[in-house]
Amino acid sequence: MSTQPAIEIRNLTKIYRDFWGRPKVRAVNALSLDIQHGEVFGLLGPNGSGKTTTIKMLLGLLFPSDGEIRVLGKPATDVKKNEEIGYLPEESYLYRFLNAEETLDFYGRLFDMPAAERRKRTDELIKMVGLDKARRRQLKEYSKGMTRRIGLAQALINNPKLVLLDEPTSGLDPIGTREMKDLILKLKSEGKTVVMCSHLLADVQDVCDRIAILYNGELKQLGRVEDLLSSQDKTQIVSSTLSAEALKEIEEVIARHHGTVQEISHPTTSLEELFLQTVADSQARPGQRFVADEKISSESSK
Amino acid sequence: MNNLDSRTRKLLYFGGIILLSIPIIYLGRPSAGMEQGSGGKLAQLRSEYDLGESTLGQVDPSSATMNLVLLGMRGVASSVLWNQANEEQENKNWASLRATTQSIIKLQPHFRKVWEFQGWNLAYNVSKEWDDVRDRYYWVKEGAKFLKDGVRQNENIPDLYWYTGFILGNKIGNSDEWKYFRKYFISDPDVKKWNGGPDSDLNPNRLDNYLVGQIWFYDANKVEALPGIEQHRMQQMLFRAYPSHAQFGYAQALYKEGQFNEQSREAWELAYELWTREFGREEHESPGGFIILESTPEDIKRLSERDGVSEETKRRWTNSYQDRCQYRFWRSLAALESEDLAREARRNIYDGKQFYRDQKFRESQRLLELGMEQFERLLLDYDSLKGEDQIIEDALMTILYWKSIHDVRDEEIPAEYPLKQFFDQHQSRMESVEPFFRREIEN
Amino acid sequence: MDFDPEDINIPESLTYWGLTFGIALAASLVVAFLLAAALGGKKGIPRYFDHLGEGLRDTFGMSLRRVMAISSLTVKESIRKKTLLVFVVFAILFMFAGWFLSGANANKDLQLSVHVSFVLTSIAWMVFPVALLLSCWGIPEDIRLRSLHTVVTKPVKRSEIVVGRVIGFSLVGTFVVAVMSIVGYIWILRQIPPEIAKAELISRVPIYGHLSYLDRQGQPTNKGLNTGDINEFRGYIEGATKARAIWKFENLGESSLRLNPATQEKELLMENSMQSFRTHKGGIDDLVESSEEMEALLLHGQIVLENPEKNLRVSLPQFAIREFHQNLNWIPRKISSTDEETQETKTYDLIEDLIQDDGSLIVEFRCVDAGQYIGMARPDLFVRLPEKPFASSYFKSIFGLWMMTILVIVMGVTASTFVKGPVATLLLLSVFLMGTLFQHFMEDMLAGNLKRSGLFESGIRILTHGNPEVGKEGSIEESAAIKRIDQGFTGFLKLASNAVPNFNTFSFKAYTANGFDVPLRSAILPAVFSLLGFLLPCFLLGYFSLKLRELEAK
Repeated sequence: MSTQPAIEIRNLTKIYRDFWGRPKVRAVNALSLDIQHGEVFGLLGPNGSGKTTTIKMLLGLLFPSDGEIRVLGKPATDVKKNEEIGYLPEESYLYRFLNAEETLDFYGRLFDMPAAERRKRTDELIKMVGLDKARRRQLKEYSKGMTRRIGLAQALINNPKLVLLDEPTSGLDPIGTREMKDLILKLKSEGKTVVMCSHLLADVQDVCDRIAILYNGELKQLGRVEDLLSSQDKTQIVSSTLSAEALKEIEEVIARHHGTVQEISHPTTSLEELFLQTVADSQARPGQRFVADEKISSESSK
Repeated sequence: MNNLDSRTRKLLYFGGIILLSIPIIYLGRPSAGMEQGSGGKLAQLRSEYDLGESTLGQVDPSSATMNLVLLGMRGVASSVLWNQANEEQENKNWASLRATTQSIIKLQPHFRKVWEFQGWNLAYNVSKEWDDVRDRYYWVKEGAKFLKDGVRQNENIPDLYWYTGFILGNKIGNSDEWKYFRKYFISDPDVKKWNGGPDSDLNPNRLDNYLVGQIWFYDANKVEALPGIEQHRMQQMLFRAYPSHAQFGYAQALYKEGQFNEQSREAWELAYELWTREFGREEHESPGGFIILESTPEDIKRLSERDGVSEETKRRWTNSYQDRCQYRFWRSLAALESEDLAREARRNIYDGKQFYRDQKFRESQRLLELGMEQFERLLLDYDSLKGEDQIIEDALMTILYWKSIHDVRDEEIPAEYPLKQFFDQHQSRMESVEPFFRREIEN
Repeated sequence: MDFDPEDINIPESLTYWGLTFGIALAASLVVAFLLAAALGGKKGIPRYFDHLGEGLRDTFGMSLRRVMAISSLTVKESIRKKTLLVFVVFAILFMFAGWFLSGANANKDLQLSVHVSFVLTSIAWMVFPVALLLSCWGIPEDIRLRSLHTVVTKPVKRSEIVVGRVIGFSLVGTFVVAVMSIVGYIWILRQIPPEIAKAELISRVPIYGHLSYLDRQGQPTNKGLNTGDINEFRGYIEGATKARAIWKFENLGESSLRLNPATQEKELLMENSMQSFRTHKGGIDDLVESSEEMEALLLHGQIVLENPEKNLRVSLPQFAIREFHQNLNWIPRKISSTDEETQETKTYDLIEDLIQDDGSLIVEFRCVDAGQYIGMARPDLFVRLPEKPFASSYFKSIFGLWMMTILVIVMGVTASTFVKGPVATLLLLSVFLMGTLFQHFMEDMLAGNLKRSGLFESGIRILTHGNPEVGKEGSIEESAAIKRIDQGFTGFLKLASNAVPNFNTFSFKAYTANGFDVPLRSAILPAVFSLLGFLLPCFLLGYFSLKLRELEAK
């Protein structure tokens, strides 16, 4: 079990067809990925890059045109895998005429949970996401932030091993975003695997262990966040007020390996820059894509 | 056009809608109240041509609701129902048929043919399917009530008044079951409901069926005479003769029932009166201008001067129209039957036939002979009636009774007897009269 | 009653269902296999069997808790969508119904049937659109709003969604039917004057016999005469000849007797509603007064009870046939009869002597009046068991309506798994129209009762302006080839027509409105079987369509 990744994606392709069966859009193209247990993985890409399609194929909502998926060791179409999965959809597609308690109770019943356990779990989750005061209100009266929170609570009702979050922070204010990120980190600390997709780069940067950047259905970048963002051949000096002479002097000092250096570190390109650059690269050289290194292929061949 | 942006386009549409609405709203303003000519053009036209629902007759609230609910579908819906009614009739499902006709007229409350057809259908076609005379009478009444309801909702259709009168007068008075029907019209067989009295929906004043029919015919004529209204049944003159005909029917029915009394005398005198003073004095339009059936030479002269046609033309058309409605026959008949001698003759013949049925042949023979002799004497004054079917048949029938007594008693028929000349002259008619005679004596 | 209630033949129906369902199932399995092999390549065939296995697992391994969760969600959804506004329409209809119905019929027993039909029809017309719209729009809306995504990403089987939806909508439908039927029941009771209600608001329980005829020479024939009615439902027998109508009743015995209020004895009650046809009007020229004399004017019939086992024939008194009324014949337990030959009067016991050992009774009917005819069909003479209350028949009719509602819901949910809401609605509406209004036409056409009605034959005839009444020998449309194509096509249509339920099966209105109890074997069971017959195919179709489709609303 532990040797097997939480999610294995091999050569995944999704072609949308028109009414006559003619290929219209290639939404995902030959994607291969492994996501390990216990990591927080971010799928990144602009709108229409195939993130959501990938997530939906992982969940069995869409059927791959080609390739294979195994989620927690089971095929994506097997509903049994859902017992250990929590899913927060892109927008809240919950039943708007139910209130928070009814919603959680309903989803709890879908997991075949006994009534007592449902009540306990519902109570815990409502408190956790901070909706205690609004637990009897119908969801259609909820604000966007409250809807996201009840959505998350719904995704966690079964205490899942794997959590799939589609744009978890969209529509949240800065405080809400912060709370969501804290929650994700908390889930990670509990040993859960989290897969999130987002086009909001800041989120991903803060919480993800690894990210994949998709563009036009193809994998463009994959790796640890620090690795992707660090540039080894540059040095950054951060200093407090410096006069023009001092600056000159520092340059000299550095040139001679002397003087007080307040901070020397590897500068990080912001993720945004990386992202924009990847997109620009893809547009300049269409068809080039990131191929998983030998490490992955050798691992999977074991 | 396409390069306008969506907002401009919407504004344009909106402007167009308002522009087009102005004339509609202006023309369609509702009328302010009872006064004529108020309101918009449409309201004025509506009142001018009597198109308002309420001007057609009483409005049935359920019917108006139903038409609103169905919007434009009522034509289709009533056709479907009409088919359903036919099917129910084929399956003899009378309860459903009755309910379906009710639904049809809810949908089409102002469709003359629907009322006529279904009213007739109930009174004639449905009625005859039932074996019990009381049931048959019930359905005749249903037909009449249906038409009466049609009149209530369509006060300006004379045809519907006429049909109601016709069913109450002629259907009840002339059916094979006329004896029952006429009796039931005075005292309904549904004793529980009407306490031995008449069905007050149709006969609130406990009158003879012909006289109730006559009231309806008078109403039909009254409506028909209103400007812009016409009937679609028959030539106008014949239509207008119906109140008088109802009187004839009444007088004849009294005779058929053996009533040779003051009442029957008055009935015949009134019949003569109505025929010659009322119907006969009406002006009827003919190709030769207006004519009066009962006209004096002065009338002819006056009319020919008024219409600018020759007196000869007037006389010719008056004559022709008299033929058309058998004017002279009915006048002579009424005159003859009004005479005391005629009533005597009829009574004797009637009683003679009764004695025959009771097998009291001697009595019968005496009365029949007396009646025949009186009949012969009467006809001397009414030469024109000698050739009329009704008179010939009555005479032949009487002679057949009289002869049959001789057969029964095995006696020679005398060489001379009253009406002999008549009998010899119309030998060719025996073939058609004899079966009636057989039927009469068999029952 | 103007129709003949026929008992269901259960083994035959089951065989027919099994065959049709089997053929359709086998055909779809084969087609699916071929498609999987052709389109899915190497993986296609294993995947095909995977799906079949999963199908079995999903069918038999449903969780009650999950199904009930979806059902209760469906109920909540329906209520919050203001479905119950239908009650407002219903209330308005019944507020004004009195206007339409009162006075339509002064005749009391007719009025009753009009009221009862009105209530049953309007409930059907109120419930049908609710069932139709709810069931056809539920799943498609769920897909469109993507709320279904949050459900199918839980361990929910697609079978549970289909069944849960069906149960949920059925609960709503049941509630609507229940409320309306109770309101309708009270309304009928209030509309019918109590004195009529007491006598007429009943459910008669008939035992029908088997009818055969003898012609005027006394020879057996299976049909009476036609006296010119368009509807050939009744056969007529001529009076004062050897013509007879013979009913054979089964399963009679002591328990078939009931108390005659006039004699205070237990007797056998027979009811007849035959029809008269006159060749002459009879004695209507002389006025008679009393109703006994009136009765004497009617045509008369006579019943002879026959027991061939004991070689007994017992004549009962003559009675008048009053058309379109309920004529009752009380047959006493002890019957005296005079033997025609020996002139000996004997008393017979109905149960001991006349009813045969196997409980059957032969009733021979003759028309007394010479030259006149009396017409009858099988249900025109029956043994009347003690009545049940009106509620029995009424609520059985409601049960029929309820079954129709459930069938509409099942079919609607099924349709909504593979097409969107509006299409599903139209599809179901067409099926419903075909299964009600055009049912007869469809049966006639498929049974070959309509002349020259082949599809291609008619098509050519339309183009060539041919005349279907006369036909044209040697023309293309009547060639053997076209005939064969049409035959093949009709065969296919015959199979396909099984997908269209006969919705008329569920209407027991004719029984209730005419004051009869709804019979089990000729009305309720056929309806129950129709409903059950559609459940499994609909479930399979709905389950596989939902399973094999992507739930992305595009």
